[in-house]
Amino acid sequence: MLELAIGIILGCCALGAGMAMIAGIGPGIGEGNAVAKACEAIGRQPECKGSVTTTMLMGCAIAETTGLYALVIAILLIFVAPNMLVNILMNAI
Amino acid sequence: MTVDKTVRRETLFVAAWVGIFSLLMQAVFLVIGRWDYTVLLGNLLGAAAAVGNFFLMGLTVQSAVRKEEKDAKQAVKASQGLRTLMLVVVAILGAVLPCFSLWAVLIPLFFPRIAVMLRPRFTRIGGDVTDE
Repeated sequence: MLELAIGIILGCCALGAGMAMIAGIGPGIGEGNAVAKACEAIGRQPECKGSVTTTMLMGCAIAETTGLYALVIAILLIFVAPNMLVNILMNAI
Repeated sequence: MTVDKTVRRETLFVAAWVGIFSLLMQAVFLVIGRWDYTVLLGNLLGAAAAVGNFFLMGLTVQSAVRKEEKDAKQAVKASQGLRTLMLVVVAILGAVLPCFSLWAVLIPLFFPRIAVMLRPRFTRIGGDVTDE
């Protein structure tokens, strides 16, 4: 029974980590759209290239944070949560 | 490949702030009594990954603005995937190797975001630094 409980904990942690990493898809799509629109803007007004690039860089850095949150959650679910949950289970028994 | 002036300037700005926040983080670890060499090494790894990630993003953006809209979109998507993979490898190294503290590796990954949030304040104080 104990093995089953530990297995469920490990399985759920792995599943959660995988689901968290789905959020990593979003920033790629968002950044792609932002850069495509920036290309369009620079094509229309080439003299604004510097400021458009700076603004886009900052925007991309902010958009990427969502993916970082997902990455950190996934890493914690894989490397930290299983030990913690198994310890809680052992203490409860 | 030459690095664009804008990309170099923004990377330096982010690197400077990552350095400042890293010092603050070390101080916090010292104050709470959890500081050891693994925190220092983890911080170095995490900060290098964070600044490297920002710099690579800058290089991608720099090359993408010279391309067609569709190609630029694809290039940025591919770059984002590869950079995320790089961060996953860094985080796994931080978790697996005993010489790195996991928290000290993960926390600096968010420092560029804080630096970017601070950017408009400095732009206002020092004039419009975003213009070439």
